[in-house]
Amino acid sequence: MSEETKNITVAINGKEVEVSPKTTILRAAREAGYSIPSLCDYELLAPIGACRMCLVEVEGMQRLQTSCTLLPVNGMEVTTESDVLTKARRDVLELLLINHPLDCPFCDKSGECDLQDMVLKYGPSIGRYTEQKRNIPSSYEDPLLATNMERCIACERCVRMCDEVQGVSALTMVGRGEETRMEPFSLESWDCEYCGNCLPACPVGAILSTVQMHNYRPWQMNREVDTVCGHCGVGCQLVVQVRDEQIARIDSRTSLGINRGLLCSLGRFGHEYVGAEERLGSPMIRRDGELEECSWEEVIAFVADRLTAVKEQHGGEAIAGIASPRCSNEENYLFQKFLRVGCGSNSIDSLSRLGLAAARRVFEDLLGSGALANELSAIDACDGILVVGGDPTVVNPILGLSIRQAAGAGARVGILGRASGLDRVRAVSMAPGVERETAVLETLLAEVAKERGFSDERVEKAMDSLRETHRAPESPEEGLADLRDLLRSAATLAIVVGPELVQRPDGHRALAALAGLAHCLQARLYLQAEGANEQGLVDVGCEPDRLPGGIPVADQAHRQRLEGLWGGSVPVEPGLSLMEIIEAAGTKIRALYVMGENPVFKLPKSSLVRKALESLDLLVVQDIFLNETAKLAHVVLPAQAWTERDGTFTNIEHRIQRSPKAIAPRSGRADWQIVAEIAEAMGCPLAVAKVGEITQELATVSPLHAGLDAESLDDRGWLVRPPEERPPGESAAPPIALPLQEPTTNGVRLGVERLLFHAGTTSRHSPALLKICPEATAKLSVELASELDLEDGDRVRLSTAQGSVTVPVEIDASLTDHRVLLSNHFENAGVLGLLDYSLHPLTKAPALEASEVAITKVEAAEE
Amino acid sequence: MTLSTAALREIEMIRGKYPEPRSALIPALYIAEREFGWLSAAALLSLAEALDLPPALVRGTATFYHLYRHREMGRHLIQLCTNVSCMILGAEELQEMLKRKYGLVPGGTTEDGRFSLLIMECIGVCEGAPAMQIDTDLYQNLTEERLDEILSSYG
Amino acid sequence: MEPLLLKNTDQPNSADLAEYQRIGGYRALKKALEMSPAEVIEEVVTSGLQGRGGAGFPTGKKWEFAVRATGSPKYLINNADEGEPGTFKDRYLMEKNPHLVIEGMVIASHALGAQKGYIYLRHEYPTAGARLERAMEEALNHGFLGDSICGTSVNFDLEIFRGAGAYICGEETALIDSMEGKRGQPRLKPPFPVNAGLWGKPTIVNNVETLACVPIIVDIGGAAFAEIGTPASPGPKLYCLSGSVNRPGLYEAPMGTSLRELIYEYAGGMRNGHRLKAVIPGGLSTPVLPAEATDCAMDFASLVEAGSALGSAGVIVMDDTVCMVRVARRAAHFYEVESCGKCVPCREGTGWLEKVLSRIENGNAEMKDLDLLQDISDAIYGNCFCPLGDSAAEVVSAIFKHFRGEFEAHVKNGVCDLEA
Repeated sequence: MSEETKNITVAINGKEVEVSPKTTILRAAREAGYSIPSLCDYELLAPIGACRMCLVEVEGMQRLQTSCTLLPVNGMEVTTESDVLTKARRDVLELLLINHPLDCPFCDKSGECDLQDMVLKYGPSIGRYTEQKRNIPSSYEDPLLATNMERCIACERCVRMCDEVQGVSALTMVGRGEETRMEPFSLESWDCEYCGNCLPACPVGAILSTVQMHNYRPWQMNREVDTVCGHCGVGCQLVVQVRDEQIARIDSRTSLGINRGLLCSLGRFGHEYVGAEERLGSPMIRRDGELEECSWEEVIAFVADRLTAVKEQHGGEAIAGIASPRCSNEENYLFQKFLRVGCGSNSIDSLSRLGLAAARRVFEDLLGSGALANELSAIDACDGILVVGGDPTVVNPILGLSIRQAAGAGARVGILGRASGLDRVRAVSMAPGVERETAVLETLLAEVAKERGFSDERVEKAMDSLRETHRAPESPEEGLADLRDLLRSAATLAIVVGPELVQRPDGHRALAALAGLAHCLQARLYLQAEGANEQGLVDVGCEPDRLPGGIPVADQAHRQRLEGLWGGSVPVEPGLSLMEIIEAAGTKIRALYVMGENPVFKLPKSSLVRKALESLDLLVVQDIFLNETAKLAHVVLPAQAWTERDGTFTNIEHRIQRSPKAIAPRSGRADWQIVAEIAEAMGCPLAVAKVGEITQELATVSPLHAGLDAESLDDRGWLVRPPEERPPGESAAPPIALPLQEPTTNGVRLGVERLLFHAGTTSRHSPALLKICPEATAKLSVELASELDLEDGDRVRLSTAQGSVTVPVEIDASLTDHRVLLSNHFENAGVLGLLDYSLHPLTKAPALEASEVAITKVEAAEE
Repeated sequence: MTLSTAALREIEMIRGKYPEPRSALIPALYIAEREFGWLSAAALLSLAEALDLPPALVRGTATFYHLYRHREMGRHLIQLCTNVSCMILGAEELQEMLKRKYGLVPGGTTEDGRFSLLIMECIGVCEGAPAMQIDTDLYQNLTEERLDEILSSYG
Repeated sequence: MEPLLLKNTDQPNSADLAEYQRIGGYRALKKALEMSPAEVIEEVVTSGLQGRGGAGFPTGKKWEFAVRATGSPKYLINNADEGEPGTFKDRYLMEKNPHLVIEGMVIASHALGAQKGYIYLRHEYPTAGARLERAMEEALNHGFLGDSICGTSVNFDLEIFRGAGAYICGEETALIDSMEGKRGQPRLKPPFPVNAGLWGKPTIVNNVETLACVPIIVDIGGAAFAEIGTPASPGPKLYCLSGSVNRPGLYEAPMGTSLRELIYEYAGGMRNGHRLKAVIPGGLSTPVLPAEATDCAMDFASLVEAGSALGSAGVIVMDDTVCMVRVARRAAHFYEVESCGKCVPCREGTGWLEKVLSRIENGNAEMKDLDLLQDISDAIYGNCFCPLGDSAAEVVSAIFKHFRGEFEAHVKNGVCDLEA
């Protein structure tokens, strides 16, 4: 978006400044270096002019003006400090203080309280109020957020944040006049998204997080480090505040990052796993069936020996690696380099094969490599948004916020499928059932293509093949016409694609149809990503058929250039993809090195995965927790967690951001360091002494990263742009759908539920998140619950051919179909392991079969 | 606690009248009050559901206005004006009498549940000051004796 | 003068359509419908009519802005949230002369191109509501309201929206927020309602009495209307007399009639032979005037000159038995209760004023509390979001200024002079 024109000249305290007509005098003065006190003004919110602290004098105007609401006109002369203003501000502060408790000595906000700062500057020094102060009881009932409403100054920043920005409206001002105060609907539980964005918005100590309450004073922090969140693909900037080498608090600044200081529950409260007691301490080797602690020297030598042995006995291609979206670009880069040159295998992949890595390929093959290079901020400028394949407010909450805000600014939001987090802002929605969504997309494509046509022969050819096999709906479907109108009428359309599509049997067709729609409508495509560095690990070469920079392994010239730079040979043939590795474990694959991942829990058909991994000659798991996969490993290598080591991450808009070391590691070694040491021990030195060197090497090796300089990255990061946009793949294969299993009569299907308050399995170790979402539940519709005679809280056993879990029932009024949903975060209660899959021949994604599930009520005594 | 079908239908009708459904809130709060007697948390919650509005917004709006019943009230609501015109002519003495004789304080209810008292900020009957309204009946030119008499006519 | 606004309202059936038509009702509407909207507005401009809600903004000018505003539909709102203490003119008009109010709205809707209108009626007025509803039904049945009014292509749909007890909703933007289901707090201006009001659409908000003047203007002509009253403040005016007078009530008199005439002629003088002590001339949000100011003409400019304002012409008359400290305390209580709570000075200051005034009244104050009282008023005044807070400060300050002796006596003696 273009910078607003600054074409108005005003004089602030005699200094002439040029400002844009939409910049308030308060902001203009701030830019000019004059700080005007204000309590109700907040960067992200529309001004309300309520606190009356920001009063200024304007030449020719009789009354004092609130600068937060005052727009400039040419020649305006503003004074921001004078005796009159000092008196007015002191007056306002005196009035504010009559009901404000003078409890600074034990208020958590003390030291970073706006009110405190202003009183220090403007006074008054003594209070003349002798009456009873307003008495509103504090509330500590909510698991995460405490209120002390006697301190509230009714600036409404929290309420406006929750309403205007977060779009949740969980908070409100209640009462009138002197009794006005903020309250959530119920003080017992805020029943909100727990983004905590109201916390930094509160200028006083009226809302506090119980996670940190009474733990420290702001001035006791050792340091603050700006960094990037490690929970999802958005890559929010946040501030880690450190005390005694522990993360004391996650804070945010409206000036920081593409998220403008906004965070979600995971970003703000989901950091405690870093300091968890149960973090892995020392390396372990399995002896006589048991994992035993050992020294680093011993474990490095052990892994090197065993990998060398496998390589010698079965060839390098018998070794495979699984990379991690929780690891940095540098770690993933070094990991794939180690596998390729150190072990001699291209069998490197990641669990992004169930998500972004696979979906992205479909789009890039059809539309070229630039198809997904869209900045998140551009969503604001869209007037139509199609959301399909998952709820962005859950998978990538801050992306979800952008959509809510765009809707607030007038964009029409259309939803295909379920995205409850957008219910309040949607203009059109259609939930034909997961089995029907692809057909809907194809119908939309057929209609749009008829009008707009294709400007590219290749796309047209691929789409033709879709069209030929398209099953048109038998009768007009409800919502379809509205959805089509939304697509057609949008001048600037965004299509936001969730991770679910690629996991469906007909997902490839759905993605191809979306590519066709994006092509015809010139829409901006956005892919959601559950993992923080899914885009990054793909870009740095953690795919079996792609080298760093996304160059195909088959590209001989480039491969040879790489071999020269790396000083070793890279196998010519592409390696095995994720599920192929699992399926070949024990046969073609003899050793598997898992870095920061948990395939046993996070892949479908866990019985198969478990069996496969158990049949390996060597399973190395490098992680921070003894997860389900680590428990099977021959070797466990304790790694370092987020904020414990340096690195860069690439978000879903291809923005590379720094994640610097902020605290001393609790235990373990950096992932890259462990990999480097093993390589060294195998006689294949990777020649790195520190992370910066890896970044540098990446910038040399990968054309995508040419010019990247980690040292110079600020909070806006560095956008990866293909040096020359690669054309679409040579042979964009016709989309393929796997046969859908037809449901049997009345069969209940099992589906995957994504939870706002959990990410992967690390959130199991974050007490704050467990307080707001303590356990997995089987979610089902009101109708299904009554059909099965189930009530909220009943415990049920969900059984499929793959296994069973026992969880409580949660009836969800927003569900309409004949499915039961289960999440995949909690131990012994994950949904994925219960599902069967078929391997998609093109995307190589495991297409999850919508398995039928048997639901039986379990009486407490049975457990 | 749910709204009756008739109330839901009425709310739906009101909602349909306005381009933005939230505009139905002020009238709908009266309907909820009629249905449940007063605007308890449960009442507000069921109204929020009927209007498809966040419960907090419903509560925020409801509590701003003083004429909704925010607590359980007696069988009859006395709305006594004590603003200046009425005060000059003895309204505060009437208020004092209600406290003395009936134990009735502003916002309170008599022990027998007969009356609740709301002190009004001018009910626009200043020519008949002091004035009050009981339920929807208007009384003017009150004196202590007359007030006593009037109250005795309410069961 | 012959009453225009209150014409026939002493008749028991004045609210009936037949009776209203008998005395020429809806004649103006028919005439207006034969005029172009611009011609109607021209008449209103010529009449010099100023808003009767309190601010006194020229109605014609407001209508011209509204006509120029882009966006549709346009809404016409009749502000019947008459909450100003001491005021009852709009209630009386709606109860006794509802057709005049409706006719005014229909003419206005024709002039402004507003096809939808609302009467924002305060909930405290059930009788007015019932009379209006009945009158609207009659008007609808006789083609004065609804579709094809008087057989023309003019349509106007009118409905009543009932408030829920908040003085601040008399402020037009707070009124609009209230109609949108929100907490009725004043909005930031600009944008002004004429450009972006109800649901973001151009919205004209006029007071009941203002709209009631419209049929009169059309009927007698803007020029004839301007002949009534004073050149700066033309037209007839409804004055609400209450307090220590013999005949409290609503009186129609030309704009500019003196306070003295209103009290002593119209309202029959001071009750029980008491002496006049003070007058609040324009409802409780206008500063008090001492007895010496009774020669002041009751129009916009003259009252400002005298240090007060015409406001809603709610004349509250106080005799020498009235304790002015008590009046100040009760006034402050009103502001404390009715402050919307949005801006700091009003939210916190009005309550503090009341508390300090209570202490003074009850004899629990010291002399320095009188300075404090003035300081609090000064801290509020000029620093608020909307005029409500300013009014609180002005009203208390004015009472304190004119009757300081009574305050000092309370502090010194612990009780009121009048009781002592």
